[in-house]
Amino acid sequence: MSHQPVAIVGIGQTHHKRKRADVSIAGLVREAAQRALEDANMDWGDIDAVVLGKAPDFFEGVMKPEMYLADALGAVNKPMFRVHTAGSVGGSTGIVGSHLVSSGRHKRVLSVAFEKQSEGNAQFALGGGKGASIGAGGAFAPFIRSYIQRSGAPEDIGWMVAVKDRLNGAKNPYAHLKLADITIDKVKESPMMWDPLRFLESCPSSDGACAVIFTDEDGGKAASKPPAWVLATAMKSEPGWYSGRDPVNPQAAHACAQEIYKAVGITNPREQIDCAELYVPFSWYEPMWLEAHEIAAPGEGWKMTQSGATALDGDFPVNMSGGVLSSNPIGASGLLRFAEAALQVRGLAEDHQVGGANLAIAQAYGANAQFFAMWAVGSSLNPLG
Amino acid sequence: MADTVQEFVFNLTFPFTRTLGTTLSTFSSALAQGQIIGVRTGGRVIAPPLEYDPDTAADSGNDWVRVGPKGTVSTWTWVPEPTNLHPLDHAFGFAFITLDGADTPMLHLVDAGSESAMAAGMRVEAKFKAPADCVGRIDDIIAFVPAADPSPSEGAGEPFVAPEENDITEMDAFCDLQYVDNASPTTIMWAKALMEGRIIGQKCPQCDRTIVGPRGMCSVCAIELDESHIVEVPGRGVVSNFTIVTPTPYPGQTETEPFARCSILLDGADAVIAQQEILDVPVSEIRVGIHVEVVWAPENERSAADIDNRSRGSGGDIIVGWRTTGEPDEPAARYLDRMM
Repeated sequence: MSHQPVAIVGIGQTHHKRKRADVSIAGLVREAAQRALEDANMDWGDIDAVVLGKAPDFFEGVMKPEMYLADALGAVNKPMFRVHTAGSVGGSTGIVGSHLVSSGRHKRVLSVAFEKQSEGNAQFALGGGKGASIGAGGAFAPFIRSYIQRSGAPEDIGWMVAVKDRLNGAKNPYAHLKLADITIDKVKESPMMWDPLRFLESCPSSDGACAVIFTDEDGGKAASKPPAWVLATAMKSEPGWYSGRDPVNPQAAHACAQEIYKAVGITNPREQIDCAELYVPFSWYEPMWLEAHEIAAPGEGWKMTQSGATALDGDFPVNMSGGVLSSNPIGASGLLRFAEAALQVRGLAEDHQVGGANLAIAQAYGANAQFFAMWAVGSSLNPLG
Repeated sequence: MADTVQEFVFNLTFPFTRTLGTTLSTFSSALAQGQIIGVRTGGRVIAPPLEYDPDTAADSGNDWVRVGPKGTVSTWTWVPEPTNLHPLDHAFGFAFITLDGADTPMLHLVDAGSESAMAAGMRVEAKFKAPADCVGRIDDIIAFVPAADPSPSEGAGEPFVAPEENDITEMDAFCDLQYVDNASPTTIMWAKALMEGRIIGQKCPQCDRTIVGPRGMCSVCAIELDESHIVEVPGRGVVSNFTIVTPTPYPGQTETEPFARCSILLDGADAVIAQQEILDVPVSEIRVGIHVEVVWAPENERSAADIDNRSRGSGGDIIVGWRTTGEPDEPAARYLDRMM
């Protein structure tokens, strides 16, 4: 494929909270975008195009928010794009932004993703506005039950992920939950929400936004701070519902990872990738995605969790930022994963930095575990040498 | 009755809320006191104020300016026959009104009596609700009316000093939406069969899978299925997986206690029907492998009103739920992976 190299030179996010009572939706997205502009040493006028992503509009009850937010994001007289691929939308929003640069069409592109969950109720919206909504946890619980049965994983794996991600989140100044005193006992004694998922194994409901600025090779080399280079992007979809579908191990999840590994030249993901941000809104999704993205062999993902390999000081750290379990502004959650991977290879992740991270992947999934978005980022264009 | 299933009416209501941020809080709090304000930014006064300069996206700051209550109409359109969704119950104009002291127009109503009274350049003034009824919403101004005295507003353009803390920082945004969805041919077939006490599936001629629920297509082979592909499916099957939900409260929530929803693989079918309720097993004892059979509502109590095109086997008010048959459970491992 002939395309231009793409550098990430600006990253910004809001302080995520259950309710950001101090800002409007416009104020929320601007807070993230302004931090990204500052990081990139740019101003609004430097941006050539804006990409906005969020999950269903019914979460806030603001239809087509891209229209209302165009001038808030400096898109007057510039191209503006709206992306929506359910929970994976943040990832897709980053990927679309990067493509506008890699195609050579634009030189500097701003991708922004957000959710202000406190303005509505996701459980209500996911239930189509009716009572007895099963919500996301209720929809994924059977998948998790199936994973536990087929893998033979012990029940404490989910609790371990819940603790590990919250301890990471406690090191991230932007995270919604900072549960530095969380323990396995606290997780397993927390209320059962969607059997077998307990309250502390579930993501919070957050207000927040994330912004990423992309530029071309010259822009990346001229940047005042180290850039992250986008090495490969992939998005895959499959029908959400068909007879015999295996949502624990979706074809699209495999295809997405395979495309990334091939493009980057990764032959041994566990060895060659330094760290990963995976979309884990419920604890058991860590081992599930480690397997479906071919980082662990089938049935072996939970052993990486159990051995501590996925901890911040392990050999394959996962969700250094604290992940979706620590902050979940749904539409932004995917872009937060993608941004954290970039922060890691830029060496700017501070207290949650993985030493010597040169190659990182990030992933987001959405809807009925049917939409996948993934990218690989590097500290150079050829981190594998 | 079954023949009348042609469309579904949905009512969506929800009390969304908006947090306003500093700029709009300042505007709303002043408005509730009968004062309209703008913000001076980029060499002009924008009213109502925005958090950002719409031309440059720069922060617009907090150089607040008193504007109005009189202004000048720059352009307008007439609404001769208002609907119940319009803010006034008689004919009125929507207009761009540049308030005295402002450089940009705001959109509001002009209650001028007749279209012939409307003109670009006309002087109007804000007519507020009674002070006790003002809550900081834009409709605290009932409408603009032709100004009795066209002279400039007193104090317009002078600085406005905002209080330390604004009274109004949040606002309700009530959604009340009704829409109608036409029933698809497959949904009509499904609903008619249910009304007759039958469960139907569609057998894909290519992959031989029997799909239950009103799908109208085989998602694997991506081909359309119609009346000719209908097969009868027995109202008996096995629970293949389930979810137990601890209900969170939200407006419209019907549940207060944990409830179970099961996937059931009907005998002879290849796709489960999802989100079914087992009537005679306590939530704590729901498990994979239970044999169940359908429980129909009495014929005179059946209604297809709750079935819609998006359901994957919803029985509406026709299927009350499922009950155990008393047969020994099937091994869980055989069914657990059948989530779909």
